[in-house]
Amino acid sequence: MSDAAVAGLRAGIRARVRLVGSAAAVGAALGVVAAGALAASSGDVEAGTRTAFALGALVLGFGVLGWSGSAMVGDSVETAQRYMATRTDWTERDSRRAMARLSGAGAGAMLAVVAVRTVLLG
Amino acid sequence: MVSTRFLLKRALLLVPVLFGVATLVFAILHLAPGDPARVIVGQRASQAQVEEVRRQLGLDQPLWRQYLQFLWDAARFDFGQSYSIKKGGTVRSVLIDRLPVTIELALYGQVAGIFIGIPLGIVSAVRQDSLTDHLTRIGALTGISVPIFWSGPLLILLFATYLDVFPTSGRIDSTLFLPDHWTLFGTELPLTGMVTVDTLLLGNVEAFLSAVHHLFLPALVIGIYSTALISRMMRSSMLEVVRQDYIRTARAKGQGAKITLMKHGFRNALIPVVTVIGIQFGTLLGGAVLTETVFGINGMGLTIVTAIGDSDYPVVQGTVLTFALLFTLVNLLVDVTYSYLDPRIQQ
Repeated sequence: MSDAAVAGLRAGIRARVRLVGSAAAVGAALGVVAAGALAASSGDVEAGTRTAFALGALVLGFGVLGWSGSAMVGDSVETAQRYMATRTDWTERDSRRAMARLSGAGAGAMLAVVAVRTVLLG
Repeated sequence: MVSTRFLLKRALLLVPVLFGVATLVFAILHLAPGDPARVIVGQRASQAQVEEVRRQLGLDQPLWRQYLQFLWDAARFDFGQSYSIKKGGTVRSVLIDRLPVTIELALYGQVAGIFIGIPLGIVSAVRQDSLTDHLTRIGALTGISVPIFWSGPLLILLFATYLDVFPTSGRIDSTLFLPDHWTLFGTELPLTGMVTVDTLLLGNVEAFLSAVHHLFLPALVIGIYSTALISRMMRSSMLEVVRQDYIRTARAKGQGAKITLMKHGFRNALIPVVTVIGIQFGTLLGGAVLTETVFGINGMGLTIVTAIGDSDYPVVQGTVLTFALLFTLVNLLVDVTYSYLDPRIQQ
């Protein structure tokens, strides 16, 4: 593999890590806030962290499914839209990026909630 | 030929799909109200009994631990035991019993869609703006727009209640009984669970006819959407293809209109239709949930509805993941077909 190819590969990986990592950081912050708010409203840390973890999992699941769905049938959807003349601006690439951000946010939230629970309840 | 690299790449995509579905199902079930332990022990049970069952099922563990355990079990396709659908039985045995029923229904719907939709689309395109074309388009639009929960009861009302030509529910006449195996050259083999196939394997013509009679309405209901979508796609695709230069060239060289259409037009027009067939297989599976509920067919659809009502987490998770696996495998098959029809796709 040439130096240019390696540099290109590194840049690509760095961009992807930045995309998911920044979303994960935002998700972690939201996860902590959600766990705190839910625990405060229910008066039960266990119930609050459970719900916050499940919400994070919901976002992660949606994101991963959306990402893989876009990668898997994105071309087909674009073709179908063209044939059915729906004229939307939806593209497979944009969809994958958006879903990667969602997945990162969901995973970040789940990890943060686990950390919060471990700190509070052991 | 379809390249191994292409196939491998598509097959690898199955992993995130199934992981995403598993995570989503887990999250939704744990966010939904209802306590499976309470469902199992009943409303009159004491809190201590409920807690005991929760402990036995592992529901008292932290959610992240339950999640990791669930992912590990799901990777081995082991969803444990059913809480209520088949008490004490494994989810795998529930799936083995019910999956063939749904596959049979979806397959008949798909076959109806392909064998009616494609010719209708071709005729509609060839006779563009004729009365046939207008009627086909109106029919397709109606078929796409009408939901199954409405068309199902309406067809039952018409064909079963008023005309009394088809049964309202069931898979075979209640007076007919099928053995649980068939014999080939003296060897006993298990039946497939698909009643039309099984009756043929058993050589029981009366039962086969009864099965077809029972399956007709549900397959029609599930096939309406499929037929409508395929005919609409086929028409659009065919219209685009027949305007291409290579079709004009073939005609200019003296080739007959029908031969040109079928030899050069059909295969190229089929590419987007094949992809749509794959995508909408998921719709057929979703349709099976409604169709089975409306017609009282004990397949995966009815199972999942009952399992959700009973908070039978393992069955819901197993059923949804099986649906997802089926859907992705069908799409993999479509990708292979697609790349066979147009080898440039593999690039």
